[in-house]
Amino acid sequence: MVRAFVLLALGGPDPPTLPGSAHSGPAPCRVLYSRVFRTPPGTPLVPGGPPRQRLRRKEQLLAVARQVASQCRLLQSSSGRPSSPQLPQLPDEPISLQDAPGGVFQLPPGDPFPQRVTVTWLSVLALAFALVCDPQENLSLAEITLRRLAPRLLASLRLLGPGADVLLRPEAADVLLDRLLPHGQMLFLNERFLQATDREMGIKTSR
Amino acid sequence: MFTAAAESFLKQAREIQEEELRRFASRVAALLQGPELGPEAVDCLQRLHLAVAATKYPRKLDGKFVELLQTVLCSSKCPEQIQVLCAAILREMSPCNDLILSCDEIQDTKLLSLVSSVLLAQGNKKAEVSAVGQRIVKVLERRLPEGQSARYLLPVLSNIISVSPESLTEEQTNVVSKKMADWLRYASIQQGVSQPSGGFFSNPRTRQPGPVTEVDGAIATDFFTVLSVGQYYTQDQWLNVQAFSMLRNWLLCYGGKGLKTPNSDDKSGMDRSVMSMVSTTSTSSRLLPPKERLREKAFEYCQRLIEQSNRRPLKKDDGDLQKACLIEAVTIMDIICKQDSSYVYRAVSFLKILHSRICGDATYARALLPIAQFFLNHSKMAAVDSDAIYKHLFTDIPAQLFHNPSLAFEFVQFCKDNSQLFTETSSIFRQSFPNLFKFLAWNSPPLISEFVDLLPFLLDAGTAIEIFHLLLDLPCLTAALDIQLRSPALLTSERAASDPAVKPATCLEAFRHPLYKSMFQYLLRTKSAPEDAPERLTPLRQLLGSLASSPRVVQCAETVPVLLELFFRVVAEFADGPLINQLVVLLLQRSDQLYEIPAFKDDVYRVLSSQLVMLCKLHPALIVELSTEILEFSGTVSNIQNKEAIFTHVVWAIGEYMSVSYDKRCTVEQINRFFETLEAMLFEITQLRPLASTPSYAPRAISVLMATLTKLAARSQDLIPRVSMFLSKMRTFVQNPAVTSVYCEEDLEEILIRATELMNLLKMPSVAQFVFTPPVDVASTRFQREVNDSLPFALRIVTRLLEPTPGFMPG
Repeated sequence: MVRAFVLLALGGPDPPTLPGSAHSGPAPCRVLYSRVFRTPPGTPLVPGGPPRQRLRRKEQLLAVARQVASQCRLLQSSSGRPSSPQLPQLPDEPISLQDAPGGVFQLPPGDPFPQRVTVTWLSVLALAFALVCDPQENLSLAEITLRRLAPRLLASLRLLGPGADVLLRPEAADVLLDRLLPHGQMLFLNERFLQATDREMGIKTSR
Repeated sequence: MFTAAAESFLKQAREIQEEELRRFASRVAALLQGPELGPEAVDCLQRLHLAVAATKYPRKLDGKFVELLQTVLCSSKCPEQIQVLCAAILREMSPCNDLILSCDEIQDTKLLSLVSSVLLAQGNKKAEVSAVGQRIVKVLERRLPEGQSARYLLPVLSNIISVSPESLTEEQTNVVSKKMADWLRYASIQQGVSQPSGGFFSNPRTRQPGPVTEVDGAIATDFFTVLSVGQYYTQDQWLNVQAFSMLRNWLLCYGGKGLKTPNSDDKSGMDRSVMSMVSTTSTSSRLLPPKERLREKAFEYCQRLIEQSNRRPLKKDDGDLQKACLIEAVTIMDIICKQDSSYVYRAVSFLKILHSRICGDATYARALLPIAQFFLNHSKMAAVDSDAIYKHLFTDIPAQLFHNPSLAFEFVQFCKDNSQLFTETSSIFRQSFPNLFKFLAWNSPPLISEFVDLLPFLLDAGTAIEIFHLLLDLPCLTAALDIQLRSPALLTSERAASDPAVKPATCLEAFRHPLYKSMFQYLLRTKSAPEDAPERLTPLRQLLGSLASSPRVVQCAETVPVLLELFFRVVAEFADGPLINQLVVLLLQRSDQLYEIPAFKDDVYRVLSSQLVMLCKLHPALIVELSTEILEFSGTVSNIQNKEAIFTHVVWAIGEYMSVSYDKRCTVEQINRFFETLEAMLFEITQLRPLASTPSYAPRAISVLMATLTKLAARSQDLIPRVSMFLSKMRTFVQNPAVTSVYCEEDLEEILIRATELMNLLKMPSVAQFVFTPPVDVASTRFQREVNDSLPFALRIVTRLLEPTPGFMPG
């Protein structure tokens, strides 16, 4: 089962493009959208009640995002990829992500979750998509799920454009997750089932 | 893209004040209570969501407003988009004390799923998980009204049992197991129909749906599975997909004896002493209790999936799914066999055939791991020899596919999960450790923490030396793997391409050059080879120097110090005297034979030097036993500059441990010999050359040489006058202009202070002897353990005693 899904902006060495911005430090890694599907048993209760529980949840997700950003940077540098982005294709078409960088790593118990988790991630330009999974999960299916979520999210939230849909239209992401990763359940959908799902969501496909 | 617009929105959302938020919330409340929920309501809810989500600190929303959100969420007249937004806001605020939501009255399955997502986010303080579980099973038990689908409920159920399997009673799990068995086995094999578009001219019966097909286009002749293809799908076919997707989870929780949580150890079920060779046939399965019946159907499903994975898919992406299905099917079969060993016999023959089918195909490599795991778990029971499977897995796969990061990760996980296999010395697992390190060499950042966990299992007295060399050469391995990947397949007919006398111009050429080929082969070996001498890799290391700055090599080099420290920590637990001696000798030798990456060498020296001290503490006699090697090392002037850290620590160790209290065999002659060597070194580096420029050496090297010479003199007191005279000359040294121009002032002051203190100590030989050569039993007191730290302090005390007036001690 998937515990959480995170959509993050990688941040990095480029300064933020705010006009008139005084500082030029590296842009921080940001969680743009996240969904936690459950908190496993055995998670110790945090004293301080609901606000602290929520705070912990947010901080755990940010910790995951930072790890993903760091792994992504290391992978990019080791494979000698140029940091200039690839040409984005037509935003209406689901983008093929065959060569998108991705990876998988484990986070030990206590850092940041009480239990061990496996994180699988995929990055597109300056964004990354990550699934936080239980340790013995089917990682092949997780990768397939990510490769399906990413282009649909890119299109639906217009992530390659200048707008801020990702922040202002959480229901669009929710709908996608409810179909492709309902309650954190990964689905064994073959291509035709996927088409049927797209149809249900009203996504036009070229096939 | 994190755009300027997004950044600005985020900033604004975070800066919203409480009063402003309250006013906004009342505006939203008014809209939500209005007659129509249109785009303005949507827009406001979206902004409200951002206001709550943007900050990790709590946003207080009025209790009544939160209630209103819940009411709107559950209202049937409400547009779906609004419902989803309300749920999103409620989830974002969770855990929430003002929740009045209950799933008890909700009939609509989609809404039930949405509401469950909010309830499950509350952290189960009020047993929400159990309540949702109860409700879902209740809904599933009965026949659903027209238009409702159970499809939306199964994922919720799957989530619930992962969190809290005890939410369901045994009766309830039986109900669900029964349904799952039906969904898995009896879904329709006719395609579904498209929803009729309606209208005057539409004819819903124009096209009869045909049968479902396999992924390669052939008509399906057996039951429906996730690999069945159709234009449109029926509800029960969706349930088939959902049921299989949650099957593993379900079996882990409820398939075995008693209740199991998904996180618990599932090594169970091996309690049947008599194994049935006759498999349960389908016809009798209707008589089985629900759990056993589900097991049977699940097993058949997995068998069918494995057969279906043999087909060549028309759509390329279906190939990826086939592989994921294969992995899942084998894993589920493994679980079933653990829960009921009567399935083992059926599974074994099936999986052996599968293995021979896919073992030559690199695209199926990841599936080899669950297959191997199955045989590790069950081959003993089935009396089957599966050594060939393990051999292929550990010998061929890492060598060919080290560059596949997902496979690398899963392979290392597999090793960690089965770490007990590595403890048998002669096993294929243990023998293959050089192959395993290829994964780390190529994919260092994600795998370093995994190897930190794995390394202790690979290390013992038999492998320690080889692993030591391997760790030091790990970045070379990365470079060699890079060349291996880039070089075209070796020609079977080796033309006289490379003349042994001609040096290869590039690394690629060297790969097949007769002089270098065997070195490459050694580095890229798949099996442990302790007899071979890695010293002969020196020419190869030099050749690979051109790749030393490649990012991948540098990333690998950064992992080595961590692994080296771990290596020594583990080795310290079992190493005996001879092994420690061997390691120290190799440590000194290898310090000359490292891959030329500057930061790498410095880090390695740093680790090796501190570990050398640790080894000396474990086995102090090594100074005496290895006196030849240590004399040679400490007597080589170039070492002071090239390997300063190691040199300093070696000299310190000599001063500390070259003593009869640590080894009775320590003779006066030995002490004198060391003294003379070190004295010559100190002389060499403090020599004042009249015309030539003065080289600078690390000040702490000078200090430690002085201290060690003093210590040795304290033990062999005829040496005292020589040392005293030398120390008194240090004053001239530090004041010489040639020296002050290359050393910094603070360092020279320190050297002078130290020289003075040591000299003063030598004026009281018995005190010196006590301070520098404590009897071994006294060494266990706290003071002595900290003697390194307290030595300067002690020296200062003594100095003060001797020089009551502040002499030439600055400050």
